[in-house]
Amino acid sequence: MIKSIEKEISLDRRAFIKKVLGGTIAGSLLLVIPAGAMELEHIPEQIPGMRKEIGPFITGKKFAFIVDITRCIGCGSCCVADKNEYQVPDGNYRTWVERYVIDDKDNVYVDSPNGGLDGYQKPRKDLPYPVRDTFFVPKLCNMCEHPSCVQVCPVGATFQTDDGFVLIDDKRCVGCGYCVQACPYSVRFINPKTHTADKCTWCYHRVRKGLLPACVNVCPVQARKFGDLNDHESEVYKILHQPHVVSVLKPDMGNKPSLHYVGLRREVV
Amino acid sequence: MPEYKSKSYSHIIKIVLILIIVAVAGVYVRAKVLPGSFGEFGHYRGDAVKDEINRPLRNGTNASCLVCHPYIREMHLKGVHHTVSCEFCHGPVADHVKDGKVIARLPKKQGRDIKILCLRCHNQIIRARPKESIKMISMPQHLKEKHVRTDHICNQCHNVHAPLMWVKQARAMVGVEEDSK
Repeated sequence: MIKSIEKEISLDRRAFIKKVLGGTIAGSLLLVIPAGAMELEHIPEQIPGMRKEIGPFITGKKFAFIVDITRCIGCGSCCVADKNEYQVPDGNYRTWVERYVIDDKDNVYVDSPNGGLDGYQKPRKDLPYPVRDTFFVPKLCNMCEHPSCVQVCPVGATFQTDDGFVLIDDKRCVGCGYCVQACPYSVRFINPKTHTADKCTWCYHRVRKGLLPACVNVCPVQARKFGDLNDHESEVYKILHQPHVVSVLKPDMGNKPSLHYVGLRREVV
Repeated sequence: MPEYKSKSYSHIIKIVLILIIVAVAGVYVRAKVLPGSFGEFGHYRGDAVKDEINRPLRNGTNASCLVCHPYIREMHLKGVHHTVSCEFCHGPVADHVKDGKVIARLPKKQGRDIKILCLRCHNQIIRARPKESIKMISMPQHLKEKHVRTDHICNQCHNVHAPLMWVKQARAMVGVEEDSK
């Protein structure tokens, strides 16, 4: 009996030493073998087929962005991811989350402390009447089909690519600010570091590498959706082609945004 | 009829010459000033698209983090927080790994900061959140209901990666079926 226990212990000891040794060797190997977290082959493609696109533009895809304001919880993950991705200077926002509060008398109050970057921890206390409803509206570049910002740029620094993205060439931009004024959605700002115009690009560099925009990737409740409208199986196609409360911001401006909102409400501007 | 028409064309030649010189100078200056790839695809610098594509990634995906953190992977993907981004709480992977080497440790929220972080999503008092989507908690009522001290921090009961893991384990150990509230 005792012998068998002793045997067990010695076996255990052997297993223990083996494990410790194995762990140490594996651990030290980890230090030698490069960790490949940022190499693309270790990150699975989130948008299928994008890594095969090597031409100057994406072919055969028409991207759309959908924000579902019935799902948004106002956590601000998207804002944090965006700031991290682009190292946006404090006080400027490529994307932000607005809080809409409607009181009993149907007055509408909108606020966005620090662009929603710190989340919304406290309810508004400065309102005279009881609150009837509250909801969050994330904002970002509308990626218009007829962008007014491109039209007004005097130096050809902002442009629409053949795949439908509106981008900024910060080497050409002279920082005149015409585009900042022309944008009906106020998504543009003059970056205080580069002194050039800056705005959300729907993470064009990530999309071209087959990754979702940073904000879509981090949203914990899938309030932000990004996909290809030419793919009839994609979630965005289904949302836009099936009965849903879907709208765009300021449709009367005629910019034809590619950013759609699910559950958009009359109060939202 | 007196002859008014001048026989001398020198003034016309001068004007034409000046115009040609201005035009040539204009074309030359434009060619010098505009970058080479301007107009390749449209009224913009064609290389600007390449510049944008080559912008370095700073955020990865959860997959890029979990490839090196198998223990966290095990917990994180099984728990209800599997949709929560690693980089939301810990920061972008580019601050952690560069050229395949670990360059710095990412911050881990501690103490009160954890509570602030949790309540960014789970604070019921905001009243703006869809009821079905995630579980809402009002503080400090939640702590009182669970009969713990009101200065407890969320991660004393909840594993941040899999919030119900310890709760479920504790229930299994004690064998108590608590009302799922």
